[in-house]
Parts: sequence; C-alpha cells; structure tokens
Amino acid sequence: MTETLLALVPLYGLGLIGLSTFLSCLAVPMPASIVMLSAGGFAAAGDLVLWQAGVAALAGAVAGDQLGYFLGRAGARMLSRQRVAPRQARLLGKAADALHTHGDWAVFFSRWLVSPLGPYVNFAGGAAHLGWGRFTGAAVAGEMVWVIGYVGLGAAFADDILALADLLGSASGLLAALVAALALGLWLRTALRHRAHP
Amino acid sequence: MNRARNRVLNAVGYLWRHHRMALVALGLACALAAFFAIRLAVFTLYWADPAHQAPRIEPWMTPGYVARAWDVDVDVIRAALPVTAQASTGGRLTLDEIAATSGVALPAIIAALEAAIRDAQAP
Repeated sequence: MTETLLALVPLYGLGLIGLSTFLSCLAVPMPASIVMLSAGGFAAAGDLVLWQAGVAALAGAVAGDQLGYFLGRAGARMLSRQRVAPRQARLLGKAADALHTHGDWAVFFSRWLVSPLGPYVNFAGGAAHLGWGRFTGAAVAGEMVWVIGYVGLGAAFADDILALADLLGSASGLLAALVAALALGLWLRTALRHRAHP
Repeated sequence: MNRARNRVLNAVGYLWRHHRMALVALGLACALAAFFAIRLAVFTLYWADPAHQAPRIEPWMTPGYVARAWDVDVDVIRAALPVTAQASTGGRLTLDEIAATSGVALPAIIAALEAAIRDAQAP
C-alpha cells in the first residue's frame, strides 16, 4: 500500500502531496507523513522542486484544518438543538473553557508533535467557537513545523524514509494516545468531583 | 485496603453508569498507547539491526532518487538503465515504470543499478 502510494508521488507530484495532507487533516487515514518524507527525497533528487513540494503540503494541510474547523462549528450548531443532560453540559462547558484558555497550544502541538489528534482538535476548536484568527494563526504555525520537519527529513535522509516513517509514526501515535488518555483522565476526574459536590 | 478498593470500584461504577463513552475511550487510548509502545520497540529493534540498515533500491524510486540516496552521479545511474530508458532523459519515471516500458525485468534493472553503484563507489 505504502509502496504503491510512493510510486504515485513522482507521477502526480504536487497535487497528490496537497491532497494527502488535506485528507489527513480531516481524519481520513492517509499516510501523509510518508508522502511528505518521499516528497523531500524526490525534491532532493531533482524530480520535484523543494519549495513547491513544501507549499503544496502546507496548502493542503491549512485547507484541511479550515474545513475541519468549520465542520466543527456547523456540527455544534446542529447539536445545540438537542437536549443535553445538565451534568454533561457542565462538563462540556469546562472542556470548552479549557480549550479557550489553552487552545492556541493545543492547536499548535496537535499539528506536528501529536499530529494524529489534529483533526479532532479542529472539530473541537470549531465546536467550542475558538476564535477563527487564533485558530488559524496557531494552525498555520504548527503546520509549517510539520511540513518543514517531514519534507526536510525526507530530503536529508532519502535512503531511509521507510525507517523514518515507521519510527516517527509509532512515536507520534504513542504520544497522541498518551495525551488522549491524559485528557480523558482529567475529564473523568472532573466528573467524579462533580459527583462529590453536586 | 478493602475500603480503598471499594472506593475505586464505586468510582468506576459511577463513571460506567454516567460517563460510559469517556471511560471506554480512556480504555481505548490506553490500549492504543500500549500498541504504539510495542510497535515503536519492535521497529527500533528492526531498524537497529545492521542487516536492515543497508538501504534497498525500491520499485517506487526514480533514477534521480537512487542517485541522490546512494550519493552517486545521476549519469552513472542513467547509464546502467535499459537502453530505451536512457534515451528519455526527462520525466519522473519510477523503476517500476521503466521496467514496464522497456520490457526488462525489474530485478534485473535493480541488479544493474546496484552493480553500477558498487563500481562508482569503489575506491
């Protein structure tokens, strides 16, 4: 599967690079990281132009973030018509508060360090009405780190991109799972506190 | 000891009744963390093995990619390709496509490239 995709990178070039980062920002399972690594490698080989590959990846990622954010907004509007139990509503309010306080960092780090969480932060950011300017600023900055990091590593270690993809993928998956577990743990702890002090 | 256990069980029971989705998600996140930790360990051992460190020429690579990754001149690579592929200088054909268009089997092309790289890198 990966090899088939890699063979398409020199063939379809920038469009494929942009499409893969776009889809991966919407939680579509898409090995965008290996596509970017290989794009760096192909650029170093002269088959692609480095800055064009970077811009294509960045454009796809930023567009995907925006769509996810506005999907989150629309989804929240639809859900707001449904009745939520007061207990859940209070918890949701707390989560939204947390997002408003630390939203920039959540958006920034979920672009590259814990990128598997990125799409969900997009939806949540839109749903919690995190300001569009704040969201976009943090998202673009984070995506730049993601794109420059992966395309740059691919260009520097062209003969090792499969190893890099395996190791980086596992490491970011592990970090993302740990961060998600931590967030859920905090959520449940808050829920228990509410039980004690109704 | 028993009281502490009861308190934990009570808490889990309460969460299971009122916050089931979040509790299940927490279990899932922990399971995923364990999975990725094992995957990371396995891949680290795999790629640390010297037998897997020597990079291989793959069908999805282009001649330029091979030249870059093995640090040899692209003309060395091009000269080792089937004659029909040498003519088409432009284009970003992968080795797989070169095999298909030239009629030469892919393993033969890779073997020729490996030999050319060895010669070029020999002191």
